Amino acid sequence: MRVTRRRGHARIRLESVESGLLATLLDDLDGALQTLPDDDPVRQRLFPVAYRDDDEAAEEFRSLTEESLRETRAERLGECRAELPSGEGDIDLDDGAAQRWLTVLTDLRLAVGTRLNVTEDDDPTIDPEDPDAQLRAIYQWLTALQDSLVHAVMRG
Amino acid sequence: MPGTLSPPQKTAGETLPAVDAATSAEPDRPWITIVWNDPINLMSYVTHVFMTVFGYAKPKAEKLMLDVHHRGRAVVSSGTRERMELDVNTLHGYGLWATLQQQD
Repeated sequence: MRVTRRRGHARIRLESVESGLLATLLDDLDGALQTLPDDDPVRQRLFPVAYRDDDEAAEEFRSLTEESLRETRAERLGECRAELPSGEGDIDLDDGAAQRWLTVLTDLRLAVGTRLNVTEDDDPTIDPEDPDAQLRAIYQWLTALQDSLVHAVMRG
Repeated sequence: MPGTLSPPQKTAGETLPAVDAATSAEPDRPWITIVWNDPINLMSYVTHVFMTVFGYAKPKAEKLMLDVHHRGRAVVSSGTRERMELDVNTLHGYGLWATLQQQD
């Protein structure tokens, strides 16, 4: 994976295995958005409580916003999915598309990171005996991709 | 004669019916949007979101991000309740952990 910026456009270069990985992750998130139960931590993180001390207002806010936000997430996820190369290749992004990729990568990191119960103090070294070792490696890769893309976009 | 959408006029000796807590809150205290620290969102990304959503210059966006990171939370905008609900909804769309409340 490599992110570059040229003539105002960001470009993500993906290896074949990385394109396949992103396709799987995006399809998984698409399914999760439709099926996660109310009390699932990933759902609660993607659709946070808006009022901490007012359950009634929080519920009303949720009823007015959640479905629309779910549709927004599914739509932008689908647009990114459609831009993935089949195999090794580049994705060229104008500013709008780069913003969209940043939000979708955030959704993926929130979902994976919440599943892993990550903390700010996590040791970046992955223990190969850890049953979540593979998912942790995926999370770190998503983090590197997003960080590269943020910096490419902010350099303008 | 007031139209049906006008607020009820209070007259001497008359008390208004009870209203729920949200609408009875003191109207002169502004509402605020708070962003809370989370272990997942990147510092660079949070700064970028504050610049994009609120149009803040980079130094202000970075200061707010560092407040979130070191103090656990930061007030990122203030105004009417309706405006803050919009801000919170927008920030949720960016994956930030945001809430609104009336200022203490």
